[in-house]
Amino acid sequence: MKRFATIVALGSLVLLAVFLLYPLALVLDASVRIDGTGAFTFGNYAAIVKSRYYLGSIGNSLLAAGLATGLACAIGIPLAFCLARVDVPGRALLLTLASLPLVLPSFVSAYALVLLFGHAGVVTTALRGIGIPIGSIYGMPGIVIVFTLTLYPYVVMPVLAGFQAVDASMEEAARNLGGSQSYAVRTVLLPIVMPAILAGGLLVFIEALENFGVPAVLAEDRPFLAVDIFKLFAGESDANPAAAGALSVLLIACTALALLVQRHYLGKRRFSTSARSAPAKLSLTPGLRLAAAIMSWGIVIVSLLPFAAVLMVSVLRFRGPVLTWELGLDNYATLLSGSYRPLLNTLTLASVAAVATMLIGAPIGYVVARHRSRLSGLLDFVGMVPFAVSGTILAIGLIVAFNSGPLVLTGGWLILVIAYVVRKLPFAIRSSSAIVHQLDPSLEEASVNLGVSPSKTFATLTVPLMASGLVGGLVLVWITAASELSATIVLYSSRWATTTVVMYHAIEGTGAGLAAAAAAVLILVTAIPLLLINRRVNKQEATVI
Amino acid sequence: MTAIRIEQLTRTFGPVRAVDNISLDIAHGELFTLLGPSGCGKTTLLRMIAGFVEVESGSISFGDRRIDNLPAHRRDTGMVFQNYAIFPNHTVAENVAYGLKARKVSAADIKSRVDKALERVRLAGYGPRSPHQLSGGQLQRVAIARALVIEPAVLLFDEPLSNLDAQLRTEMRIEIRQLQQALGLTAIYVTHDQEEALAISDRIAVLRHGKVEQVDTPERIYRMPQTAFVAEFLGSTNMVPGVAKAFDGRNTQVAAAGTEFLVRGEVAAPGAPVLLSLRPEALRLSDGSDAALVHARLALREFLGPVQRLHATLPDGTRLRVSALGGAAFDALPGAPLVLAYDPAQIIAFPAP
Ligand SMILES: Nc1ncnc2c1ncn2[C@@H]1O[C@H](COP(=O)(O)OP(=O)(O)OP(=O)(O)O)[C@@H](O)[C@H]1O
Ligand SMILES: [Mg+2]
Repeated sequence: MKRFATIVALGSLVLLAVFLLYPLALVLDASVRIDGTGAFTFGNYAAIVKSRYYLGSIGNSLLAAGLATGLACAIGIPLAFCLARVDVPGRALLLTLASLPLVLPSFVSAYALVLLFGHAGVVTTALRGIGIPIGSIYGMPGIVIVFTLTLYPYVVMPVLAGFQAVDASMEEAARNLGGSQSYAVRTVLLPIVMPAILAGGLLVFIEALENFGVPAVLAEDRPFLAVDIFKLFAGESDANPAAAGALSVLLIACTALALLVQRHYLGKRRFSTSARSAPAKLSLTPGLRLAAAIMSWGIVIVSLLPFAAVLMVSVLRFRGPVLTWELGLDNYATLLSGSYRPLLNTLTLASVAAVATMLIGAPIGYVVARHRSRLSGLLDFVGMVPFAVSGTILAIGLIVAFNSGPLVLTGGWLILVIAYVVRKLPFAIRSSSAIVHQLDPSLEEASVNLGVSPSKTFATLTVPLMASGLVGGLVLVWITAASELSATIVLYSSRWATTTVVMYHAIEGTGAGLAAAAAAVLILVTAIPLLLINRRVNKQEATVI
Repeated sequence: MTAIRIEQLTRTFGPVRAVDNISLDIAHGELFTLLGPSGCGKTTLLRMIAGFVEVESGSISFGDRRIDNLPAHRRDTGMVFQNYAIFPNHTVAENVAYGLKARKVSAADIKSRVDKALERVRLAGYGPRSPHQLSGGQLQRVAIARALVIEPAVLLFDEPLSNLDAQLRTEMRIEIRQLQQALGLTAIYVTHDQEEALAISDRIAVLRHGKVEQVDTPERIYRMPQTAFVAEFLGSTNMVPGVAKAFDGRNTQVAAAGTEFLVRGEVAAPGAPVLLSLRPEALRLSDGSDAALVHARLALREFLGPVQRLHATLPDGTRLRVSALGGAAFDALPGAPLVLAYDPAQIIAFPAP
């Protein structure tokens, strides 16, 4: 058993060292070198601290992430409470829909905002037509709105679990002892749910800080960290890799700090939904119940509306950048007339990456969950590092690392796959270790005891037992890899451009129709597998004992 | 032939010495039980033999072969788990065939051996079923068949019956015992149920804090416990502290609980503090013809069907439990005087700690 765990741990650590730690080390190294001569310096950091532009960029990123976190909590907590404690009509559907924004590409949502409320947006033009001017959604407001609407599920999920984990008897005990309902909420409910709120909120913060696509679409002239890093590294005129490195290190420091706090809280408390008796639904007056229903459905519908808008706009004709109300598939024709290549690339790369991620992540998740040792602790830690590293920074590191030397990967497909695998690995590790936690360890011991070696036991017994969960993980990795933008935009070569790249360039240029079609394709590509697994997971649940 | 020799085996978890320098010799064909309270290290010891817990120091040998450095899957033990550990994604027959396949037995042989094993555990015809269609007792039998069918060098049981209801438990333990004897396999059986241990074992090792307190046959463990802990753990004995007095050549007088007891043999020097173990069934209501007597009062009477349990109060207030046959007419009320008789040979004295 131990040998198997050691082999998995060592193998994975080597992979992570080569494709994650080494590239990151190079980024760190670049940040303390003078560009050109390579001499050691802290000058790059000093330059950032002195530059109003960079300080503004850091400030904007932190501000947007902070505001988004606050707003996501403000809508996520009431929504979670309603889902847990109010008999909202269509609760099951609501729950499914509420998790959708997490897997749909957020920059598509940002683009929808541009389509609707941008300079030439549908709503903007319409309102301007009847004499009502609306403020600009570019910059901070739009970015915060999109972050909030796409990231709030990170708050809803743990907080919902927290609310459900409150054993009814605890609340009843508090009330039985003479407390009012609000007293019970304050003294019993909140202390239990607080860590969940914090954990979810910090995730929103991290994701918002790292996000490249949304500010890339909506920032206009405002500087944002993730975008600046990309421009400093890949920009044609103003490239400055050393400054990009220094900004990267600062960004990683921020996200790593938030992640450590987040893990600290999650590590200490487990939110199991296995409370013996889930608290009863509140008995509300019809009026309040209606209000709760409207609010819950309202939040979810508003967050999904941008995606619906994109789907709709994609079948309308554009005249230049201006949208007309004529139906037509011209946008798709333009998208595909160029070449099928990007779409094919997206599908191929996502498939290869998803399979590879699960093949590497599942054994790691297994070892981390089953074999507590110093080595597996280290693996657990290193495996979570990609959470704190934005796609752009990882991609920059990969380019620096594998542009020359014994292993040249730049320009090929493999480097894209590696970036996807590394980025999605924490997810694969977490989801598979969660499944392993639910498997009775004595099953594997029984198999080993009967004479089957640990590695064969893992392959022939554990993996099939994990299958339904692994399929779910596979599909989710596939979806997020297919809509990945931040690393792809740094790493792609023209031969391996993906749909996201096409969309990005279309937005940058004037191909509004093209962008809408590409965005719609991305939505379909992500939504269809999601619907497929939903059915599959349901079916499997029925057949699992 | 698989005799098991365990020498100076130790395993610690941080500050806890789960298995503390244990040495045991288990003969071929023996059903050897590890008995002890929760946390005494039974499971740890068993899992060290199976290869799931690493040995820190000491050795384990099957016959002449040292096995403690072999990986778990090469040790040739058949383990029956407390929670059955039946593979849910395999049928009953596939579960039983699992170890045979690992041993590359031919398909035809597998079929006949699986059928025979299922017959042995009275599950003939259940092969094609899926585990979730079986009851707890049936699952436990599948687990036993799965361990038996590979004819392992050693059978290992970790509280195999603790998830079953009381009646099934007594039936199954007889089945386990008979199967083990019929196949002539060496078995190590972990339980914290003393009755189960007494009922089926050839020999019992009583463990406490990772150490062996006593290894003996069930009769000797029960009748001649070597430590107060063993006496107390096996059967709800009455422990009464006292002080040894004169030895009259046959019995020692012990002053305890405001009265005096006679204990066979010279148990301690006069004046030494001792701890007496008085088994409830070693005490009975005197019919007037006995030599050794104590006077007490009835505090409470519990009627338990086949027996009744009397709670007697000794002169200084110490309570004693006394088993009396349930059929014996006895209608004294609480507070009534009792005269209890005993055989001095059945009282055991331990040096007081
Ligand atoms: N993996 C482990 N890590 C740390 N401590 C352990 C571990 N396994 C066992 N222990 C400790 O070792 C001691 C012996 O445990 P063990 O499981 O062997 O007891 P047991 O006799 O089987 O008890 P029970 O009757 O409750 O099953 C206990 O104090 C336990 O807490
Ligand atoms: Mg145990």
